[in-house]
Amino acid sequence: MGSTLDQFGSQTTFADAGIGAARTVWLTNSMSIISLVILAFVMLVALFAWRSTGGGRVWWIIGGGIVFPLITLSVLTVASATTLRSITGEAQPEAPVIEITAYQYWWDVVHHSEGRSLRDANEIVLPLNMAVTLQLKSNDVIHSFWVPSVSGKMDMIPGRINELTITATKEGRFRGQCAEFCGLSHPLMAFEVLVLPVEEYAAYLESLDEDARDAVTPQQRRGKEVFLTSGCTACHAVNGVSENGRLGPDLSRVGARASLGAGMWRMNRGNLAGWIADVGDMKPGAQMPSYNDLSGPDLRAVAAWLESLK
Amino acid sequence: MTAVDEPQSYSGTRKGEPDKTIEEVWAQPTGLRWWSSVSHRVVGKRFIYTGFAFFIIAGFLALLVRTQLIVPGNTFLDNETYNQVFTMHGTLMMFLFAIPILEGFAVYLIPMMLGARDLIFPRLGQFGYYCYLFGGIIVLSSFLFDAAPDGGWFMYVPLTTNAFTPGVSADFWLIGITFAEIASVTAAVELIVAILCARAPGMSLTKMPIFAWYILITAFMIAIGFPPLIIGSILLEANRLLGLPFFDPTVGGDPLLWQHLFWLFGHPEVYIIFLPAAGMVATILPTFVGKPLFGYGFVVAAVISMGFISFGLWAHHMFTTGLPILSLSLFSAASTMVAVPTGVQIFAFIATLAQGRPRMTTPMLFVMGFLFIFVLGGLTGVMLASVPFNWQAHDSYFVVAHLHYVLIGGMVFPLFAAFYYWAPHITGRMMSERLGKWVFWLMFIGFNATFFLMHVTGLRGMPRRIATYPEGIGWDRLNLLSTLGSYILAAGVALFIFDFIRHLRHGERAGRDPWRAGTMEWLYPTVAIGFNFHAIPPVETREPLWNNPNMLGKNAEDVEGVMRKMHDGRRETIGCDPVSGSPVQIVRLPHPTFTPMFTAFALAVAFAATIASAYFVAIAGIVAGLLGFTIWAWEPSDSGVTRDAGMGYVLPVNMIEKRSHMHIATVGTMLVLYALLGSLIFALLYLWNVYPNFAAQTAQPNLLWTGLSMLAGLVLLILAMINRRVAVADKIGLATVMNLAVILASIACTACLALAIQRTDPWGTALGATMWATLGFVALNLFITLYWALFNAARKVTGRVGAGQSLPDFNLATYAKGTAVMVLITGGLFLAATLGGLS
Repeated sequence: MGSTLDQFGSQTTFADAGIGAARTVWLTNSMSIISLVILAFVMLVALFAWRSTGGGRVWWIIGGGIVFPLITLSVLTVASATTLRSITGEAQPEAPVIEITAYQYWWDVVHHSEGRSLRDANEIVLPLNMAVTLQLKSNDVIHSFWVPSVSGKMDMIPGRINELTITATKEGRFRGQCAEFCGLSHPLMAFEVLVLPVEEYAAYLESLDEDARDAVTPQQRRGKEVFLTSGCTACHAVNGVSENGRLGPDLSRVGARASLGAGMWRMNRGNLAGWIADVGDMKPGAQMPSYNDLSGPDLRAVAAWLESLK
Repeated sequence: MTAVDEPQSYSGTRKGEPDKTIEEVWAQPTGLRWWSSVSHRVVGKRFIYTGFAFFIIAGFLALLVRTQLIVPGNTFLDNETYNQVFTMHGTLMMFLFAIPILEGFAVYLIPMMLGARDLIFPRLGQFGYYCYLFGGIIVLSSFLFDAAPDGGWFMYVPLTTNAFTPGVSADFWLIGITFAEIASVTAAVELIVAILCARAPGMSLTKMPIFAWYILITAFMIAIGFPPLIIGSILLEANRLLGLPFFDPTVGGDPLLWQHLFWLFGHPEVYIIFLPAAGMVATILPTFVGKPLFGYGFVVAAVISMGFISFGLWAHHMFTTGLPILSLSLFSAASTMVAVPTGVQIFAFIATLAQGRPRMTTPMLFVMGFLFIFVLGGLTGVMLASVPFNWQAHDSYFVVAHLHYVLIGGMVFPLFAAFYYWAPHITGRMMSERLGKWVFWLMFIGFNATFFLMHVTGLRGMPRRIATYPEGIGWDRLNLLSTLGSYILAAGVALFIFDFIRHLRHGERAGRDPWRAGTMEWLYPTVAIGFNFHAIPPVETREPLWNNPNMLGKNAEDVEGVMRKMHDGRRETIGCDPVSGSPVQIVRLPHPTFTPMFTAFALAVAFAATIASAYFVAIAGIVAGLLGFTIWAWEPSDSGVTRDAGMGYVLPVNMIEKRSHMHIATVGTMLVLYALLGSLIFALLYLWNVYPNFAAQTAQPNLLWTGLSMLAGLVLLILAMINRRVAVADKIGLATVMNLAVILASIACTACLALAIQRTDPWGTALGATMWATLGFVALNLFITLYWALFNAARKVTGRVGAGQSLPDFNLATYAKGTAVMVLITGGLFLAATLGGLS
């Protein structure tokens, strides 16, 4: 399945890919229509007032300024409180827990399953029609987790763990993005959400627990060697290859992601090589240094190996 | 007391020559001394012109933003520049344009509407203006150092702490804006006192023009609403300079503390911007309908309730921070409630329209534009109060659309109505009605094209504050159209500037009261005399020019009133009872002076030197500033004499009692100071509540010293009361002794409080740091008490205080009492900390 980049409407709130989004859409639509009707009504009254010379009446103020707002607002308060309850009331103790930690400018994702902590990054796989508890944290500044098509947003604040329960109700890929201004590359901090049927989700979790794919071709083997010798392992982990790096995204299945650089570029060898050679240009302020001293063949080899990690 | 015919002479009194005319006494300084003017007209115009300059700069930055977003993946601006540009756009618009320009209009109009010859504290006005100008220059100069703030106008921590924003860009924001805010707060106190204490004879509160009500409530909101931000900025700057951990969660601080303080200011701020503009609408609308505002009482009640409600809504800016569901629901319901007073005002305006046959002039067009745009902005505001919807729309372009509908609709359109409406008053010429209609339609169409579409862009998932966006996910065409709309809006503003410059030379000359308005600023022919009134006419109704045939029926200078006779060659105006408006005193006003400008400049040097880490220069600046204040206040008292004000009023000059303008100003200042203290106490209780475990690690205050500090506070309180009594009884020697006693008590209070928390490590926990910050604030007030008492004692010792001139001690007592209560409150908090569980 292709990346959400170029996909029209991959990040819209007018969607029903999750319970939170679906139950909010009707609120959005009805409130928008009512607002426009009220606006039209007020302007018509103003027009009428403009043409009349009979004088204003106190009941206009009481009716239009007090009674009507109180009635409408009461209805709105009840409607939005009910919707809020129906969205947040889903919290279930046995729901799978996914811990998401925001970094400037990427996402660390840990699936807690059967006592295991399975790590991935920048792509969040969710089971279809199953409530999931997201534990949202931040490693540095305030970020905000938002997948408009699935659910409303929740901030990620240093020193706190905010919980958000979401239920994805549609298979497919959706785009999410950091919604709280978080610094230089805030516009370049997105991610993809992949919703899979429960069995495929289980298979995905198993794949996270396995070692990364072996390097097969000579070029891939060379790439792995460059990866191990150039200092990449200080920050990046690849299952079965080097598992200590925690400062940067886990790369065990980087090639399986549809996008690169936290949801910003399509995943392909060219973009991978460009990223490694000049991170600072593609994402200013990112912690990773640019490896622009790698030789052409080495660069291509690392990119080829990373792309093969699926 | 009886009327004294001959002015009693005091050494050093700045008296005019006895044969000077009123024109000479009130003459505007010319040449270089032009800068020393203290007239409210001059200062008000300076605020307006400077504010408009910031509007143009900030508007230009907005065009850069829109140009960057015209196509996806644009490289017109890089991320860093874009972040600087949108940060400065918001900062300039909110802090250096919206509030100062509205205060400028208030400073310019209020005395003329109310029947005063000037504001009560003209020098404070000049001081505030220069603080604003210098603060604005400091903030803008960051561009020259390539250190423009880039953390957003909301400056969220920890992004703006040293760890993530090294360098001085955040310091430019924190220090420059805090400095400029001094202007907002001083102008607020000045306007409160001017409205309460200097109205025409007979103008009770219920007969005030509606604009004065709007400004009065707004000024109170500024006095209470700005302190949380000032405290927040000081805490953040202390964090950046000294490393105090107020916001660090690893030692019991909380990034959300900043957000609470910021929005405790930030939400009222929105109404602070809206209300004066609505006051302009409520003034302009009746003029063109030709009938009074309908539902005056409803509107006043709505404005007051809006003032209260606005302080209870701040958390709706924080719906996505993980607040408990219960508080979400409460704040959500409270937020929608503000629609009621807003609705009351809107329908009062509409009912006013129905009173007569409105004239379709350019100001009226802008008023109708306001009605359309602001109502829609209010409706989307109600939508945002709904929590589930907010979780989607928050920090998306929907919010950008909403806030521009509210601010441009609620403030910029009324402001442009005001420009067209009061331009003849300021320049003596009419702006073009034909061009004005073009300006309106360009702005109206451009505005809606830009911002209406943004509602959709936001709901299609586009977050705010992103310099680029990917192609093809649904935002491309919307952004293109928004950008084109912004150019149309800018063309409207450019045409306005053209017309303004054109009308200065070629505009039709305005006659007297050119719009047939009913309020008193139109009493004199346009470009009126510098002192507003030869005689201050008694006012019986809200629209004196409509109801009193004597006003426009005569030459303006022949209109009957009080104070026609000029006493002692001094600038003066009538002082009134705050409620009834009956004259109670004659208020002496200062003449042009450079002292406030010098003081503001010295403080500007201190603030700028702090940014540059030149701390000795900073200290020198503060000392020079203190010297400036001292020179400013070191002048003979005007109290102690009685004068005939005409029309049967024989009144004391600068009377000594609680309704004195000086005393009301002191109380107003205490209001600001208590709001500052309240913000610190909020921080203390918040941190204590959020991280009780860290509170337990904070060393508890010493019980003995805490008790002694409260005792010392009590002593200070009693001494202040005695000081007032002996001073008012004209026992000058005894009053001097009491001044010294107040000094000693202040020192004792400071020492005991400091000793009480000497074991608390300010770097150890956030709570400890906040305790020291609270102590620092109370100590600052104690220092001011001390300095003031020393100053009063010195004046008495040098023989500058005669019988019946105890006003300085009268006010000092109020200040000292307020400070003593602060000591008691702080001591009580320390006591609670000791008894209630700090380790």
